[in-house]
Amino acid sequence: MKRILPIVIWVALAVVAAAALATIALHRGEPISASWFVLAAVCSYLVAYRLYSAFIAAKLLALDNTRATPSERRDDGRDFVPTNKWVLFGHHFAAIAGPGPLVGPTLAAQFGYLPGTLWLIAGAAFAGCVQDFVILFCSIRRDGKTLGEMARVEVSRRGGFIAQLAVLSIMIILLGVVALVIVNALKSSPWATFTLAATIPIALLLGAYLRYLRPGRVLEASLMGVALVLFAVVAGQWVADSASWSRVFTLSGLELTFAIIVYGFAASALPVWLLLAPRDYLSAFIKAGAIFSLAAGILFVRPHVLMPPLTRFVDGNGPVFAGKIFPFCFITIACGAISGFHSLISSGTTPKMIQRESHARFIGYGAMLLESFVGVMAMVAACAMTPGVYFAINSPAQIVGAAPEAAAQTISSWGYPLSAATMASLAHSVGEQTLWNRAGGAPSLAVGMAQIFSTTIGGERLLSIWYHFAIMFEALFILTVLDAGTRVGRFMIQELLGRVWKPIGRLNWYPAILLSSAMIVGAWGYFLYQGVVDPLGGINSLWPLFGISNQLLAAVALVVATTILLKMGRIKWIWVTLLPMAWLVVVTMTASYQKIFSANPRIGFLSFADALAAQIAAGQIPAAKIAETQRVIFNQRLDAAVTAVLAVMILVLLGEAIVQWHAILSRGKEPLLHETPYVATQWAEGD
Amino acid sequence: MRRAWSNAKGRLKRSWNGLREWCGDAAYENYRKCAMRRGQESVLSPRQFYVEQLNKKYSQPNRCC
Repeated sequence: MKRILPIVIWVALAVVAAAALATIALHRGEPISASWFVLAAVCSYLVAYRLYSAFIAAKLLALDNTRATPSERRDDGRDFVPTNKWVLFGHHFAAIAGPGPLVGPTLAAQFGYLPGTLWLIAGAAFAGCVQDFVILFCSIRRDGKTLGEMARVEVSRRGGFIAQLAVLSIMIILLGVVALVIVNALKSSPWATFTLAATIPIALLLGAYLRYLRPGRVLEASLMGVALVLFAVVAGQWVADSASWSRVFTLSGLELTFAIIVYGFAASALPVWLLLAPRDYLSAFIKAGAIFSLAAGILFVRPHVLMPPLTRFVDGNGPVFAGKIFPFCFITIACGAISGFHSLISSGTTPKMIQRESHARFIGYGAMLLESFVGVMAMVAACAMTPGVYFAINSPAQIVGAAPEAAAQTISSWGYPLSAATMASLAHSVGEQTLWNRAGGAPSLAVGMAQIFSTTIGGERLLSIWYHFAIMFEALFILTVLDAGTRVGRFMIQELLGRVWKPIGRLNWYPAILLSSAMIVGAWGYFLYQGVVDPLGGINSLWPLFGISNQLLAAVALVVATTILLKMGRIKWIWVTLLPMAWLVVVTMTASYQKIFSANPRIGFLSFADALAAQIAAGQIPAAKIAETQRVIFNQRLDAAVTAVLAVMILVLLGEAIVQWHAILSRGKEPLLHETPYVATQWAEGD
Repeated sequence: MRRAWSNAKGRLKRSWNGLREWCGDAAYENYRKCAMRRGQESVLSPRQFYVEQLNKKYSQPNRCC
């Protein structure tokens, strides 16, 4: 009986998961309750964790708890610190959860709720979690080596170089894109701009407190900081209501662009304790609070999902971004299902802190499941608002028209009824001048979150406070990614240039710091600028580019994982990493090809550039706009070149790996595995 | 009743310690314990340790997209 009961429970959970997924997939007509999404996701995750991750742990990786982990062998209280598995889970989750799983699903909601939700759940279970888990395991067995080092040692030297280059490229594109999300969220919004600006002096205050008054007392400092930030959210309303202060904080897209570029440079060049670290602490607490509140809010309110399962935009003509479900839904969802960036965290600090090999399953596989759940909640929040409102917020003016009445008519003609008065009233309720054409994902997510929060606490009266809290929360942790990423990018540039001229590589030489900071900020700042001046709404071009680069990095990680597993002789189970890798290569290559060569100017970079060039040649562009149009043409061609370089990188790495795999499988070469030698653990089983 | 109270107290204490470890409050105490266990003669001050840890943490990707 004792053995039968768990089987019955797991079979029942699998049946519930299948029934909930079938309900989501087959439901037509009336709006569907968000409870089905929560049920489908949670039951699927539990079954995937219990069965698939256990299978990977036992058969593919053969996790060995008798083997000492790096944190036990090299325990130094600094880099290698044995850490409780729940605490490490929290660390790992806080590190991998960024804005991607919130923004990606929000943008992908234009296809309807179905494709995105299915990919979030299935993609995480069979690809994203597998990648994080296997890379974490590989790194534990190699004393916490990074993905780049593992690629160099286990695949080839060129593989390592490509991985390093891929990391730098993704970083630059990522930073440009997330900065664009902030610009679109803060544009012409004095309340939101003030709130975010206020976080800078708050962070500086916290930095000084933690450095000089109470070194390392993060908890108390962060609680003070969070209280000040929440006060800033409320105070933002006073700023917005004051005629003179409101003018100061009402900034255009370009003004915000330059402000963020200056901020990024400062965060990279200033000492880390002053601005970057305290902001990160603030962000971690607010992020954890907001994500759990959103989950609780959705469970409590159980909103109805008003978006249809599939919209008419599956044909590729969506207003938010152009392109069909395949490959663009998978590219757009990005981090909620699989993220190459996670492989950097899984081969960063986590493997140096893990106590037991078996914890890798809970931390690597489990944390990614939680991230996917965040993505599902973002999808629910985006789809719970009226579809007409969703498209009004996320569509650029060039597609729907700049005048509210004309735009409302265009959106209504798509089959999603909307009136200009509805949008005006909604903007008024959330304390914004307008919500039209606020592409980027953040404002629509904030509206969705605010509607859920206000139904739980405060009602209509607090809608504007919740909206600005949501905007502040998104912008705050996007800025954290921005300044941490800029700093790491600076180190990468210093390391690369240091090979050419040694002094540039010195981390404490100020001219080198300033030069490399300017280079990395200039690189992502260019993409940001490009996104702001793009007439079709830069997120349309840049988010797919970010998705491609992120999936490319995931493909790199899975190539490394597959090579290591082949060397370990796990040929029978190699499909576990090989299939997601093949899928990612197909998706990335198809998306790259379409982004470069598609004849549709809304998809293809080159055809858009050609269309604009033809308009100039035909005299259809006013003389005053010619220089700006030529800049857009150059940007589109640059994007095409960047996409081509990314695609070539993955093909080269894949070629290198296939040569290796052939040599291993044909026994032409003895597989040389670079694991650290086995050392038996000294810890008792229960430690 | 007393047992339930003591269980709850134990859980609360463990959660509090977990929170302190998660946010980094306990990092210096752990470092000192480790240094004493290893018999290290020179031990960093809380301020030095804090800055050293931050510099290390933010020199590699530690926040994801």
